[in-house]
Amino acid sequence: MRKEIFPFTALVGQEEMKKALVLNAVNPRIGGVLIRGEKGTAKSTAVRGLAELLPEIRVVAGCPFGCDPEDVTVMCAECRRRREAGEELPTATRKMRVVDLPVSATEDRVVGTLDIEHAIKKGEKRFEPGVLAEANRGILYVDEVNLLDDHVVDVLLDAAAMGVNTVEREGVSFTHPAQFILVGTMNPEEGELRPQLLDRFGLCVNITGVTDPALRAEIVKRCLSFEEDPAGFAAVWEEEQQRLREKIVAARRTLPQVDISDEMLLLIARTAIEMRVDGHRADLIMMKAAKTNAALGGRTEVTEADIKETANFALLHRMRRKPFQEVAVDQEKLAGILGLHPHRQGGKQVAHSHPHTHTHSHPHQHPHSHAHTHQHGHPHGHEHGRG
Amino acid sequence: MAEYRRYVFPFTAIIGQEKMKRALILNAVNPRLGGALVRGEKGTAKSTAVRSLAALLPEIEVVAGCPCNCNPRDAVRLCPFCRERLAAGEELAAGTRRVPVVDLPVSATEDRVVGSLDFEHAIRYGRRRFEPGILARANRGIVYVDEVNLLDDHLVDVLLDAAASGVNVVEREGITFVHPAAFILVGTMNPEEGELRPQLLDRFGLCVPVEGVDDPPARVAIIRRREAFDSDPIGFLAAFAAQEEELRQKIVQARALLLEVRVPAAVVRLAADLAAEALAAGHRAEIVLAQAARTLAAWEGREAATLEDVERVAELVLYHRQREAPPPPPAEPEEPETEEPPAPPEEQEQPDEPEREEPRTQPESNRCDGNDGLSEDNRRQQDENPSPECGAAAAETVFAIGEPFPVKRLDHGRDRILRKGSGRRSRTRTPTKAGRYIRATMRRGSGDLAFDATLRAAAPFQGRRQKNGVAIAVEAADIREKVREKRVGNFLLFVVDASGSMGAEQRMVAAKGAVLSLLLDAYQKRDRVGMVAFKGEHAEVLLPPTNSVELAHRRLAELPTGGRTPLAAGLLKAYEVARAHLFKNSNLSPLLIVISDGRGNVGVGGRKPLAEAHQVAALIREEERIKTLVIDAEKNGFLSFGLARGLAEALGAVYYKIEDLKADLLVKAVRTLTD
Repeated sequence: MRKEIFPFTALVGQEEMKKALVLNAVNPRIGGVLIRGEKGTAKSTAVRGLAELLPEIRVVAGCPFGCDPEDVTVMCAECRRRREAGEELPTATRKMRVVDLPVSATEDRVVGTLDIEHAIKKGEKRFEPGVLAEANRGILYVDEVNLLDDHVVDVLLDAAAMGVNTVEREGVSFTHPAQFILVGTMNPEEGELRPQLLDRFGLCVNITGVTDPALRAEIVKRCLSFEEDPAGFAAVWEEEQQRLREKIVAARRTLPQVDISDEMLLLIARTAIEMRVDGHRADLIMMKAAKTNAALGGRTEVTEADIKETANFALLHRMRRKPFQEVAVDQEKLAGILGLHPHRQGGKQVAHSHPHTHTHSHPHQHPHSHAHTHQHGHPHGHEHGRG
Repeated sequence: MAEYRRYVFPFTAIIGQEKMKRALILNAVNPRLGGALVRGEKGTAKSTAVRSLAALLPEIEVVAGCPCNCNPRDAVRLCPFCRERLAAGEELAAGTRRVPVVDLPVSATEDRVVGSLDFEHAIRYGRRRFEPGILARANRGIVYVDEVNLLDDHLVDVLLDAAASGVNVVEREGITFVHPAAFILVGTMNPEEGELRPQLLDRFGLCVPVEGVDDPPARVAIIRRREAFDSDPIGFLAAFAAQEEELRQKIVQARALLLEVRVPAAVVRLAADLAAEALAAGHRAEIVLAQAARTLAAWEGREAATLEDVERVAELVLYHRQREAPPPPPAEPEEPETEEPPAPPEEQEQPDEPEREEPRTQPESNRCDGNDGLSEDNRRQQDENPSPECGAAAAETVFAIGEPFPVKRLDHGRDRILRKGSGRRSRTRTPTKAGRYIRATMRRGSGDLAFDATLRAAAPFQGRRQKNGVAIAVEAADIREKVREKRVGNFLLFVVDASGSMGAEQRMVAAKGAVLSLLLDAYQKRDRVGMVAFKGEHAEVLLPPTNSVELAHRRLAELPTGGRTPLAAGLLKAYEVARAHLFKNSNLSPLLIVISDGRGNVGVGGRKPLAEAHQVAALIREEERIKTLVIDAEKNGFLSFGLARGLAEALGAVYYKIEDLKADLLVKAVRTLTD
């Protein structure tokens, strides 16, 4: 069954989220994105829409891991063996996959397990690949990632960091490549993510409902016309979709040529140090995101603007927080380091759309009353509807 | 089966992190150091360093084809496979291989760790044969556990058992097998996700804390190298091949020199002294310390270990073995003019504890100062009729949250009741098909078939069974089911006394600190939390049951203090919330955590406030599924009333003073011991 998907380009607003997703489509090595926001802000719609825009990749035909026939460094054991035996690997082209990891997934389905059918028929042990195998070279999408079972998160952590899945269970012992773009959505009201898992997402965006009445009306209009006639709606947007698709393909081609100067790298390093992030992953991601941003702009040299436009995405979830402090970036400080005016940062309602308030008086029996307390860079307006 | 080959960032290309590199190299030179634990924040090349170490390890002589890497020169410790071959008159051919590094993923099941019945062999030949697992493969090598603090307790037990004895004893599926399993443990972890069990911690010879590099040019170099590796791993590895080879040779030389390095008596004495000073338990600390000093000398090509060597390795050895000193003897009272008899000091803080309290420069209006020396009666009166000077201000004061500290285990042990839920506090068997599959059992009717175990059970009998075109026929008697285990979070309901008396002596700061500590603990254990506060005339639910510990924290920070103490109302409200929760989750017992000084002075009905509180307490006590814990916010001192203790008795609760909650810490955040 194929369900018509709301076109990515028809989404109103949410520019940050769209940007973060497109950056990942161009450069899978950025390592995914975590989209944090309240319900009804088109989080899932955007991710599903992105799938339509992903480019095609070349794979070894029939390989359960979709190995890249050109790249020996991340080839599964079987493809490598065949290649080393002098075999010409059969290739095929397919779209990059978006593999869903349902919140109810069991550990054996995620990492893979013993192939029962083969064992019974042939009396031999064989590995049956799981979700991580399927997601190799694609997107692993976890809706409501903060609700994922704890032990499933544990197995995700290792695979997501090292790009390898090691299985030692149920009689099988197997290791295979598992390089995926981790995309997750969550509603922070239902609990935070574990910091270790947060760090596995390359980028992070906090989103909020659109407040402009005119835009809200536009959202409703588009939703209605999509519901009435999905195919017709898609056809209207096809030209726009194609334009973005071509832009992504062009950027992918430009990306390997993009250079970054030491001066720009120093700016990144200083930003990471002064913003007090954990470890070095933020630096790397800032660099990759800036390079990708340059490629999207058709340039081969990273400029300060590229860093400014993307740094926030890489820093947001990596700030060293006091226990339970909110996931947020001190926008003024960041702006100071990067030398830009805070209100222009990212061009959107990132900072200061809500002043720093603590004036909140009647907390009792009000499960959502916390929506009144806002901090910098973490705006959520509780009255916003769907986008 | 061919193995997947990883291209790993080379060890010599790692910039900075000298301590971590030294700890790993010392282990490569001398396996007797007993491994290393690398603790640190995310993204600091922990896993990369450990994985890249594998390429630097020297070659060892092994019996060719032996799955346990037996040493052909060590007839005493041969595995049964090798002994069988010897008995059959075969000569054990020697081969070489690099010291193995075996990954133990946190998702591993027991059968793969200890080994199990060889299923294919059993089908083909109808005989039971042992199929070696991770412990066999790691013999004379390294077991590497990434995120070691997430490893299931059950697997930790198995590991500890083998690590302590150096052998793996297998009794399962009709197989008896004993093989050597002398391995060292290398682990990496992020302490944010929880601590290790002390026994496991002690198994690691060395321990290194790592942090990111803070020098901008060095950071730039790190980015450049990583990018270069990512874009062309093969070329990058080639560029570092010479450096890697040089380091490998140096390790080989150091290993050869190791046995000749003398360890003078003075070095041993210093090692013992340092271990004693750090209050390390047992004698492993000084032994490892002396070994490490010796290894460092060998690494630097010297023939004797020096005192300086000991000092240089002391941090690596003692970091995770230091324990806190017992509380110091009562200090002299600070104000000599006090007329009171020398009571136990108010703050029995541990020496390295960060300042927990606000300095005493708090605005006077925040505290009903001058209270401290009042008699009981006076104080009661003051609580009931706030005096004009401090009444208004004290009515609504938001106190800061005291510094959090790690808390003791508060769980109630494991039981056999099947539960639903997710979390990490209490271990429980789960009835649903969720949870980690840990081992298999004979049929029980849960319908959760353990295919691998079932097939292993059926395999030896295949020669005699009727098969219809399949390779293996399974009969009812072969059926095995999965035993799954997962930790169930508890429901922690905080019942916080926010009355004016809690404002005195900064009790609220300490109380909030205690709640925050419990919240941190709750986060690591994935507990559900809720919060009830009482002050003035009534109690209110500040936070209905939720998984969002962050929300609880925010509520806590905003909670004002002031007014009288409606203790009975607070308990009643908590009882209602707990009952409602039990209604929905009948198998998840709520834990009521009452933080108060117990001085209830406002009633709900017409009776005396304290009597009423005790009446409600009796009600709560009757509901057996509700567990209670009373945390006494009153400090030890001359003027304690013991009211909270009385309340705890009425509730049948476990009673703690705030200070008693603190865990006896093994790992302290003391960074500099020697440097």
